[in-house]
Amino acid sequence: MQDTAEVKAQESPQINPVPSKNGKPVLIEPDLDFIQLLSKSGGDLFKKCMQCGTCSATCAISPDSNPFPRKEMAWAAWGMKDRLLSDPDVWLCYQCNDCSTRCPRGAKPGDLLAAVRQESVIHYAFPRFLGRWVSQPQSLLLLLGIPMALLALALYLKDPIENALGLSRPMGDGIIYSYTSMYPHWLLNSFFMIICFLALIIVIVGVGRFWQGLKKADIQNGIGSPSNGLFSSIWVTLKDVITHKNFTECTKTRSRYLTHMCVFFGFIALAVVSFWTVTARITPIIQSDFIYPFSFWSPWKLLANAGGLALIVGLMWMIWERVKEQDDAPVSSYFDWTLIGTLLLVTLTGFITELLHYIRLEPHRHLAYFAHLVFACSLLMYLPYSKFAHLVYRTTAMVYSEYTGRNGNKPNKPGITEDNHEEAKDNAE
Amino acid sequence: MNTNTKPILVIGGGIAGITAALEAAEVGYNVILVEKEAYLGGRVLRMYRYFPKMCPPTCGFEINIRRIRQNPRITIHTLATVDEISGNTGNFKAKIQIKPRYVTANHSLDDSMTESLVSERANDFNYGMNNSKALYMPHDMAYPSAYVLDREALSDTDAAILLETCPPGSIDLDMSEKEIEVEVGAVIVATGWQPYDVKNLDNLGSGLYPNVITNVMMERLAASGGPTAGEIIRPSDGKKVENVAFVQCAGSRDDKHLPYCSAVCCMGSLKHIRYIREKNENAKITVFYIDIRTVGSEEKFYFDLLEDENVSFVKGKVAAISEESDSKNLILDVEDTISHENLHQGFDMVVLATGMVPVTADFKLPVDLKYDEYGFIDGTTEVNGVYAAGCAKHPCDVSTTTKDSTSAALKAIQCISRGD
Repeated sequence: MQDTAEVKAQESPQINPVPSKNGKPVLIEPDLDFIQLLSKSGGDLFKKCMQCGTCSATCAISPDSNPFPRKEMAWAAWGMKDRLLSDPDVWLCYQCNDCSTRCPRGAKPGDLLAAVRQESVIHYAFPRFLGRWVSQPQSLLLLLGIPMALLALALYLKDPIENALGLSRPMGDGIIYSYTSMYPHWLLNSFFMIICFLALIIVIVGVGRFWQGLKKADIQNGIGSPSNGLFSSIWVTLKDVITHKNFTECTKTRSRYLTHMCVFFGFIALAVVSFWTVTARITPIIQSDFIYPFSFWSPWKLLANAGGLALIVGLMWMIWERVKEQDDAPVSSYFDWTLIGTLLLVTLTGFITELLHYIRLEPHRHLAYFAHLVFACSLLMYLPYSKFAHLVYRTTAMVYSEYTGRNGNKPNKPGITEDNHEEAKDNAE
Repeated sequence: MNTNTKPILVIGGGIAGITAALEAAEVGYNVILVEKEAYLGGRVLRMYRYFPKMCPPTCGFEINIRRIRQNPRITIHTLATVDEISGNTGNFKAKIQIKPRYVTANHSLDDSMTESLVSERANDFNYGMNNSKALYMPHDMAYPSAYVLDREALSDTDAAILLETCPPGSIDLDMSEKEIEVEVGAVIVATGWQPYDVKNLDNLGSGLYPNVITNVMMERLAASGGPTAGEIIRPSDGKKVENVAFVQCAGSRDDKHLPYCSAVCCMGSLKHIRYIREKNENAKITVFYIDIRTVGSEEKFYFDLLEDENVSFVKGKVAAISEESDSKNLILDVEDTISHENLHQGFDMVVLATGMVPVTADFKLPVDLKYDEYGFIDGTTEVNGVYAAGCAKHPCDVSTTTKDSTSAALKAIQCISRGD
């Protein structure tokens, strides 16, 4: 009584969903701890999955061959940690939540993919324990204490170093109100450059490990020889990222596209201004007329303020979308909230610092400035370990999918659109 | 022998109610059978064939009707509902509301008398796939074999025509609803089921695409008394269907619709495949399923179809159906979970295997009964003297229903015999 439809259907050539060597299946060893971790980070409903495939067929951005997220649901249930961590597909998902809404069992595939992304960030982070700390609330105070201590140490060492190096500080009426009296430029710039440099190194290590993991998994499964050039893949991906192309493909949640646009470009604007501010003094062509702080109407200041406003608007809107009551809404984990929270705190303390600067309220403005620096430092130094790392891992997974030609395999399906549904209604009447 | 001669009230004249009524009557107990439609037979009589023997239900129905006719202990009320039940075990009082048929039993009518009518009504026996005249015989096998007048559908001009053409006294437009009260010793609830409403399935077209039909409609499409006289053709253009998809679990095993499995839809679709293979020789058929649930000896009914080259089975739940506006063909989005491919496959016609909803989901009986979360009567907590049978209790096939009805009849008999 073995000749079921499954057996019949298996006659067609296919990619084996389970690891195999020389065509022979190998023993799967479920990683039970990993199942627990996924359950904890918001994907605890995935065990309800009955493998019906509604999610994969519903997904607007899943490729037609080996679609996601049904296979990831099976891997999660089986505790196949290696497969999930080296799966580019989990990063192709934008959590528009169509799959979770349509899931007949309420298994929320969208939340499972988010949980896998979180575990991936932790897995590829170096050192890994920092990734774990960033993902758990009980380490929050400790993690905030580190940038506080570093910035306090910088403050404490400021005079000895200046004396030792023979740097003289201009002292005058105009200068007293400047934040440079607290953290001179040389100190601030070198402090943040070191932080950024370290974060960059760690990110490169993580991305390198991730890329290797993706390649190794594909070789093991006998798929994924490059079909596009690496540089053209990077170019295509960057275009998609900047235009938020994939966000627009989600059928229901336009607000997610707009909020992410605000936050993304707000952040880019601030990053550009920061980069300019730090490098302007060492750029030979403009050194002579570089004046800091910028005047309110300076184009740089305007760009920074606009970016800050876009961030605040985008973040508040994101928070509203996440807290308002919705059926089948994605679970917002601590991992999500810390990124949103840190970004919001950086921006808010930035504006407070700016405002207090114009009001010249002492000593509050220096306290606000210190807080601003602490949050900015946290954002940057924990980038490789927090949800912020999605910036690099998602981009890497997108490049990899383009590189292996997986992206060219996108569905060309009509699906149910509002239009043809309305049309059918009209016809029926 | 007991002295309590009170009859048993059976609510519902489908296969469950008919069986329970006959079982009790044939061992000497009086039965009052109440049916809300104008005819007996319920859902089962609208089937083209039974699985797994593929014999027509009309055959068994004829036998049952003969048994009813021969048995003076069964009183039948059609177009009737039970509005109130009071009292307790062994001594119930029930109020039965009987809707007017507007046709008297004094003279016989025939189709020539309805031909001149313009007024029509959706033929609910055929699930609204065609219309019948406002004065109609519910179907060929109707019992009681009497015409019914749909007063709301009848226009004033047609009313005048009817009074003229029909034998005097045969039509009574002033007939009114009446209520009778009966004393009964026990009650059998055999209210049955209705198909799940496809309007709720927005991803599957909400019932708006003409070529997406349901499993119960498929039965009528194949039946000789159906809207197409048994030809399996597309509702949109009457084209013979060549490429049909079956969507299993359409709204079943789904938290947002019916979380349970209705147990008969798999066998139902496997039966429909045989209708199509028999009538449309070259038709290709694809079944999209989560699991094919055929148990026990029913497995053979499934395995035999696996040999058929024209029939393919794809393991995957259909996520969406869309319609091509010109051809009215349908495109199904589904993941084949065995080959790991998302398919976007086109078909002439799609049959949705919708599940069973208990009639008691929307309508509660006037007696203290326990229902489960879906509206089925909870069989484990029966009130003494009131017993449910068949699909009122759980989704099940005809043979299970008849066994269940026999057991309900026995319980009712015991209740009366004990005199409690």
